Amino acid sequence: MKFECGDLERALANPDLMADAQLHMRDCAACRNEYRIWNEISTAAKQLHCEWDSPDLWPNIRKGLEAQSQPPKHRADWRLWALTAAAAAMVLLAVLRWPQTPTDKSVATANLSAQDFLTDQALKEVEKNEAAYRHSIDELSRLAQPKLENPASSPLLASYREKLQMLDSAILETRSNIAQNRFNVRLQTDLADLYREKRQTLQEVLTRDQSN
Amino acid sequence: MPLPFGATLPDNPTDAELLQSCKRGEVCAFERLYGLYAARMKSLAYHLLASRGDAEDAVQETFMKVYKAIGAFEENSALSTWIYRILVNSCYDILRKRQRLAEKPILKEFSMDSKLPLKVALERALLKLNERHRLVFLMFEVEGLKHSEISGVLEVPEGTSRAWLFEAKRALKQMLTEPRHEI
Repeated sequence: MKFECGDLERALANPDLMADAQLHMRDCAACRNEYRIWNEISTAAKQLHCEWDSPDLWPNIRKGLEAQSQPPKHRADWRLWALTAAAAAMVLLAVLRWPQTPTDKSVATANLSAQDFLTDQALKEVEKNEAAYRHSIDELSRLAQPKLENPASSPLLASYREKLQMLDSAILETRSNIAQNRFNVRLQTDLADLYREKRQTLQEVLTRDQSN
Repeated sequence: MPLPFGATLPDNPTDAELLQSCKRGEVCAFERLYGLYAARMKSLAYHLLASRGDAEDAVQETFMKVYKAIGAFEENSALSTWIYRILVNSCYDILRKRQRLAEKPILKEFSMDSKLPLKVALERALLKLNERHRLVFLMFEVEGLKHSEISGVLEVPEGTSRAWLFEAKRALKQMLTEPRHEI
């Protein structure tokens, strides 16, 4: 093959052609110059690596790791309190609506039934809402699928894909935990959070311009 | 439950030993990971986020995620590749948060070393590159990752990584040599 100046770019992209390019550059000052600039970019790039002292970084990470190894007590606590308060309000509402009967015994029985009924009812409501929410997220997933599966997608989309995989795995795990304890309000809240995050992520994928 | 301190980690652990130690949640193994990768991670994150503070946040976030997910790490790729992938994702998470908050773009903390004008020009030109080309350029040319590693981080074939690097350098060369490009 006769190597010409126009072949230099191909040689820079394909190391197999570099030997021919080197031979050509012996007699071609223009290509030698092009090649020099090409290499200078690599040399200058090495100087962009930057290091600085971060004396607090490892101690902070260590603290974070230690915090992660503890159960998220405070976070769970406020959620539990919020849900307990909401549940108490619903119990009160149900009790007020419950048909009044004259005897103490029947009132007590009615209250107990109302509480049982409310718990089941609330769970049914949660499960119904979850199914509807899941359905709408599935729809979003379906719309986002072509973008996410595009092999030429940007690293940002790849990061979305990875995040969605992590969310799916967390959702599966939480759902499996819920299957063993359907009345656990904290697990239900965690699941709702995960779905919310997934929906938001899918919406970001759909609104993102793929040209970048 | 406090983190185990991990007296089981040998002085010069292999990757497999380090991984097993991390999977046991031994803090010394994570400290070793930090020693091995933090400098490069900070530099890469800095170039993606243009802020040292955010770069440190991204590194910290990455270690938290690694700690949380290492039990599920399936060893389909090298541990380092997986860590860099999480780092890049963490950086994009931070960028997304910035977009959500409609934060003003942070001005790059340019080096003021006047002996290195090409370095400064290159740093500025990099900001104008296509996102994926810039990322490959940063990982290969600046941080010294191999194409095999980059392909694992970005989950693209090695050929794609090479092609993106070529495109990045071609665009940079054009920006740095042709006067019509204002850097």
